[in-house]
Amino acid sequence: MIWPFTKRPLPPLDATSSARRDTLVQPKIDLGRPLADMRWCVVDTETGGLDAQRDPLLAIGTVTIEHGRIALDASQEVGLTQAQSTAAANILIHGISGSEQRAGQAPHDALLSWLEFTQGAPLVAFHAAFDQTVLQRAVREQLGLSIAAPWFDAAVVAPLLFPDAAPHCRHLDDWLAHFGIAVYARHGALADAYATAELWLVLLQAAQRNKIDTAQHLRGLLRARRWLSVN
Amino acid sequence: MTHIMPLANSLHRATIDALQRQAPFSAMAEDELLWLVQRLSVAYFARDAVLLPPADTPPDALFIVKQGTVAGATAEGQTVLQLATGEMFPLGALLAGRGAANRYVAATDTFCYLLPAADFHALLAKSPEFHDFCTRRIASLLEESQRAVQSEYALALDDESRFARPLASLIRRAPVSVLAATPLADALAVMEAARVGSVVVTDDAGQPRGILTLKDVLARVTLAGVPLATPISSVMTPDPATLSADAPVADALVLMARQGIHHIPLVEAGRLTGVVSEKDIFALRRLSVEGITSAIARSEDAARLPALALDIGDLAHSLLAQGMDAENLTAIISSLNDRLTERIIALECEADDALVGLRWCWLALGSEGRKEQTLATDQDNALIFAEASDVQRDALLAFALRVNHRLDACGFPLCQGGIMASNPKWCLSAADWQQQFTQWIDHGSPEALLHASIFFDFRPLTGDASLALDLRAWLNRSAQKNPRFLHQMAGNALRNRPPLGLVRDFVLSGNDAHPHTIDLKLNGATPFVDAARIFALAAGSPQTNTAKRLRAAAPALHIPDAELADWNRAFHFLQLLRLRHQHGQQRAGTVPDNHLDPDTLNPLDRRILKEALRQARKVQARLALDYQL
Repeated sequence: MIWPFTKRPLPPLDATSSARRDTLVQPKIDLGRPLADMRWCVVDTETGGLDAQRDPLLAIGTVTIEHGRIALDASQEVGLTQAQSTAAANILIHGISGSEQRAGQAPHDALLSWLEFTQGAPLVAFHAAFDQTVLQRAVREQLGLSIAAPWFDAAVVAPLLFPDAAPHCRHLDDWLAHFGIAVYARHGALADAYATAELWLVLLQAAQRNKIDTAQHLRGLLRARRWLSVN
Repeated sequence: MTHIMPLANSLHRATIDALQRQAPFSAMAEDELLWLVQRLSVAYFARDAVLLPPADTPPDALFIVKQGTVAGATAEGQTVLQLATGEMFPLGALLAGRGAANRYVAATDTFCYLLPAADFHALLAKSPEFHDFCTRRIASLLEESQRAVQSEYALALDDESRFARPLASLIRRAPVSVLAATPLADALAVMEAARVGSVVVTDDAGQPRGILTLKDVLARVTLAGVPLATPISSVMTPDPATLSADAPVADALVLMARQGIHHIPLVEAGRLTGVVSEKDIFALRRLSVEGITSAIARSEDAARLPALALDIGDLAHSLLAQGMDAENLTAIISSLNDRLTERIIALECEADDALVGLRWCWLALGSEGRKEQTLATDQDNALIFAEASDVQRDALLAFALRVNHRLDACGFPLCQGGIMASNPKWCLSAADWQQQFTQWIDHGSPEALLHASIFFDFRPLTGDASLALDLRAWLNRSAQKNPRFLHQMAGNALRNRPPLGLVRDFVLSGNDAHPHTIDLKLNGATPFVDAARIFALAAGSPQTNTAKRLRAAAPALHIPDAELADWNRAFHFLQLLRLRHQHGQQRAGTVPDNHLDPDTLNPLDRRILKEALRQARKVQARLALDYQL
């Protein structure tokens, strides 16, 4: 579903970008298909700070899972150019230097590439609310669009499937350690997305072992859980 | 739908880096690796999940273990292999375009890279390194390991072994010393008799008071016209520089260079314990096969031979360090030990008139008979003679006993099982040997089979070789006529299984004396040695060396060349591990043995060890097939 927002003026788009925006399709995904056949995009974002509402989006890393496997060629990392480099403290957190920040693509270009890459596939992230907020805001501000794809939070699915481990596992690193997943050097958007994707493979298998066969089913359980934890 | 990226993103880069830690990817070009990585997918398998079932059709993909352990089991459910990070399967099925024979199951939670079969074949055509590795697996692993060993040892040799070892390790004999009042004539006679370049003058307490070298004699005695009745104290260099025997060799080099001297007395608690010369130090470098061979040949005094035996050990260490392969190295060690033994025998024989006119031959048995000696070797030998009276036989036994003790002094301990030429049981006439062998072949008891495994590797060392060659020809005929005996030998050999593990990589010894080890000799090399002996006896080959036996028997048994080459490489890798292990123990001052803790190996050598043991299983499988066991 695509609808334009007109609360804030959009930055002017050149003809090519404009055409890309207009031909963008975000197909409705059938969440009733078997989990094993689902195409997933596992996402991680790097931002200029820890405030999802205000800090700028610096980079997006995306890894695709098709037929239950991570396809290494179907991975994407896009950097977003910044008008101004962010504070040194965040450079320390993310290891993205000032020159690298400026070296990316124009934000609208980067976001178009990302939307074209994900094609409306269900999105997975660890602490997904943060990535969802950051991306939603950037897409709205830059392109006047909204992301239609459903989000799945690995940080919520993992304790659901592994309640015994949940008390010791809060961060992504805890869960990776719990499953003995040795990942590559971390702290780039793509590397973190990849680590999350390996975790997602483990979770998908566990879900199927627990007779959770569709994304629909999984989403229902997550909603019930959220309702339980809120109330 | 996939998006082909022309350039590596950071994930591709990281995957390339991870793959490069393993052979064969470590040797492949960057663009080939990127090509590979962009075609890989990553899959997760929970413990006990089946990755690949046995099938009639060729597999769809190559699996590369990213993390975890995969077990391969036969249709009967017997686990035959364990695959760890970096290992690939099912190579055989993919290469041959047939279905996988084994069932592959995740032994732990496992992540694997998958490469579609078509891309696997494209990569074979694209990358010679990948092709080589897949088709000659053990060979490529070995080359990789050899390079690592060479660089490791090259460092160790220069920095550590040569100059850091204590001077005491260079002492080859008791020091030659005289008292201050000794006349020059006597002192020089002592030097001449001991063939040394210096004599140390000590006091009654054994403390060095002076030194006189041959060079000093020229200037201070001969040219100065000093009478030989003069006491040595008047021409010696008084208060010579000394070093503690436990000081490093490097200290002696520095002292010699500073003071322009060539001999340094060594002391322990002030008392003289030896003399080290510049020659001794540089001899460390000048060891060569030719040098040692000619030194042995020139040696007229059996008392000097133990020093040459030490040289053989030092040379073996240095050749090992230079990366010589095990086949050549064990052949060189055996050949130099042969020369040494021949020289001992020649010296003992010359001095013994009772042996004149007797036809006899000294037989090397066991590993020496196979020319496969490592650094930890005890004696296995025997004597064969044509005919002899009781008196002559006693003379032969006495002579053999002297040789056995000389060998013991040279670092070949007396055989605990008494398998030595001085044992009346093993000093027999040709007819008695035939009778003994017949008894073993007919009897087939465990003891007979054990003896056969030692004695049937006999080889003539010195004396009348025709006695041994005739016995060999007779033995081969007898063995071929007794399929029952070969069958029993094969059954016996198959009782000793290579220690590949089900849960861990290796089955470790439960033996309290050597916990957490595997016996490289018994469980590693012996399956090859035993099988080769049986193949050679069946094929009527006179060879005693394991590799040569396998090569000689291969055509008759229709063993393919590639398989034969893998067996020999695997056998020699096990021998090399034994040599390296024993070398390390000797350097650490412990008694060398064959008990290796596989955890001390680097990941590459662990993989090769596994592969070598897998080859040992294949040899045994062949034996089982041939003898329907």
